Amino acid sequence: MILTDLNPGETGTINDIKGDTHLQNRLVELGLLSGIEVRMVKQAPFKGPVEIKFRDSYLSIRWQDARQIDLIK
Amino acid sequence: MKQHFFENNPALDTDSKWVALVGNPNCGKTAIFNLLTGLNQKVSNYPGVTVEKKIGLVYSENLSYKVLDLPGTYSLQPESFDEEIVSEQVTDWAKGESPPAIIISVVDASNLARNLFLTSQLLDLNIPVIVALNMMDLLNDGQQIDCKKLAKKLGVNGVVPISAKKNQGLDELKLMIGTVLRSGKCSKHSLPWLNDKIVEHLSPLIDPQFYSKDFAVAQLLRKVTHFRNVNGDSSQFNSINEAIFELGYQPQTVEATLRYRWIDDIVNTVHKRSRPKIEKESRSEKWDNILTHRWGGPAIFITILYFIFQSIFTWATVPMDWIQAGVDQVSVFILSNMPSGMLRDILVEGIIAGVGAIVIFLPQILILSFFLTILEDTGYMARVAFMLDRGMTKMGLHGKSVLPLMSGYACAIPGIMSTRTIDSWKERLVTILILPLMSCSARLPVYTLLIGAFIPPVIVGGIFNLQGLTLVFMYFLGTVTALILAKIFSKFIKEKSSSSFVMELPPYRVPIARSVIRHVFIRGKLFLVNAGKIIMAISILLWFLASFPKVDPQSVDVNPIHHSYAGKIGHAMEPVIRPLGFDWKIGIGLLTSFAAREVMVSTMATIYNVEDSGDETVNLREAMLNDTDDKTGLPVYTPLVALALMVFYVFAAQCMATFAIVRQETNSWKWPLFMVAYMTALAYFGAMVVYQCGLLLGFS
Repeated sequence: MILTDLNPGETGTINDIKGDTHLQNRLVELGLLSGIEVRMVKQAPFKGPVEIKFRDSYLSIRWQDARQIDLIK
Repeated sequence: MKQHFFENNPALDTDSKWVALVGNPNCGKTAIFNLLTGLNQKVSNYPGVTVEKKIGLVYSENLSYKVLDLPGTYSLQPESFDEEIVSEQVTDWAKGESPPAIIISVVDASNLARNLFLTSQLLDLNIPVIVALNMMDLLNDGQQIDCKKLAKKLGVNGVVPISAKKNQGLDELKLMIGTVLRSGKCSKHSLPWLNDKIVEHLSPLIDPQFYSKDFAVAQLLRKVTHFRNVNGDSSQFNSINEAIFELGYQPQTVEATLRYRWIDDIVNTVHKRSRPKIEKESRSEKWDNILTHRWGGPAIFITILYFIFQSIFTWATVPMDWIQAGVDQVSVFILSNMPSGMLRDILVEGIIAGVGAIVIFLPQILILSFFLTILEDTGYMARVAFMLDRGMTKMGLHGKSVLPLMSGYACAIPGIMSTRTIDSWKERLVTILILPLMSCSARLPVYTLLIGAFIPPVIVGGIFNLQGLTLVFMYFLGTVTALILAKIFSKFIKEKSSSSFVMELPPYRVPIARSVIRHVFIRGKLFLVNAGKIIMAISILLWFLASFPKVDPQSVDVNPIHHSYAGKIGHAMEPVIRPLGFDWKIGIGLLTSFAAREVMVSTMATIYNVEDSGDETVNLREAMLNDTDDKTGLPVYTPLVALALMVFYVFAAQCMATFAIVRQETNSWKWPLFMVAYMTALAYFGAMVVYQCGLLLGFS
């Protein structure tokens, strides 16, 4: 299961972040580590960015980057 | 970049102790800086978003020290140009190059763990750290943070609870700074977050230049695990990464994993609250249901934009009339109290006419920067970036291009500087190249003058004023052209690194009035001082060119200004600009406005005043309306010429300062020269198309 599989309002737990190392680095520095719970807040239309909540932060990331984030089933 | 910073950094010029403010974006760092330093601060360059380095002075209990406000950053492993500045700075401190006496790590109490990540990186330096725990006012539901315990566990010199919004806790912070400045002690733990086995593997390879061994280890860990800027033999790095992997960590995420493990443990013991529920909808989220709604969101954004432009044209007219009246008063006063002669002519026809024509646009510039500051400080601009990222990506830009482009409506320079937050070089470069097409406030004087004089104030479609619509059209033309060119440029510019868009959506906040006022004030001051200097110089030069050589008015059948140096230059230009509908006076204006666009207006004012040479300053708007061709007796300026001229100004690259900043930010001559070339071509042909098509359609 990947992050974009979540519908707005649904939650999941981070397993792994794949893809570009810069993206991975930035996300883990912001505290998006494996085991962290995340909620899908909103998806911009036409596969625009998604907004997620984890810890106390709201973060927006692009759709194709969100596809690199693996959730625990 | 680094050199430039040190040259302009008075904090580092003297032996006196100084203090650095470091923190995440949106943690209220700048608000604390403002409260600490009051009006004793120096902004070393144009204000944009908090991209620039600001230095302030604090006087408190017999102590005085300097405070440096660094750009917001999430980590010392930089992912944008902004963050690179901070990372380079901190690395220099670690090498013992003018380090601060204290680092104040500003932390958002409502987002504790994430903010402490940077604090934990700063703690690797052997420099005392004070945590300024800001936004205490946002903690609710009986949440408590045990500051003493937090300080002890982190190993910082102190934790001070603060609310910059309510101006609480600042005295305590100053007291704490005083105490630490006197003792100079550093109470850090040694790499409390890092696994000893990893330290063992790294120790033989650490860089001996670093003053602090802990920082050297952490820096090496970042280098080894991220493989950035690694030259030559990397086999040792590979074996360290293997060792880290055997210990059960992913090398790329080991630093973050271990630091967060350490931080989460601390936060759980000092922060009393019910477990954070990520299901809980914050108040901002409820606002966002409306403000970033699929269809409603963009509609609201467009409405806000329309409202801003409408207000520039309606509200601003009142203070503009006062300023006009004031300028008239001054010239009348000088005319009646000074003996006539060359000095009086320079004053009235050159300086007052030129500078006065510019000062009048101050209200519009203040209003525009007021709205932009409000949109930024409330957190709304981040939502705009979120909504528009998809569309912007399609045009070869970036969601974070929106704020620089909108700042470009005020001035291209802060706009170009704020592109540093865009993480990808290609998208940043494209944004810089098209940004000067956003109609800046320096074009506003030109549009206002021409629209006011030549576009009738009729109502169309029931509610729209034709003058307002024409203005909106000019902004629209520049913006749409910019977007189309962005698409084209991005096809030809090679990618240096991949693009990503990771952006925090900060909670909506009521802007702090003091910050907004300060920002608007600085913007206005820079406009007056910088524009004023250029305009004053050009006005005087132009007055000489337009007044000499003196010819006997009796001996020629036309106004003597035609025989002046300026007249000769303008007439020489006429064949080139005739197809655009421009005459020699506009030609001089085009030349002088290569220094800065608004000079066009002061140039026209100076020329008409010299031509008139009467005992009063000429009202420029009336003078242009009533100007007739000496031979045909027809009006020189028609609505069609005005329109062509406005289109020329939409596209033309007439700003030395923009050229200089593009040179600096791209670190090449190629890009600024390319920018001037494409914009000049666009301006020339754009204006020609408007004028020639207008003629064909039967307008004159």
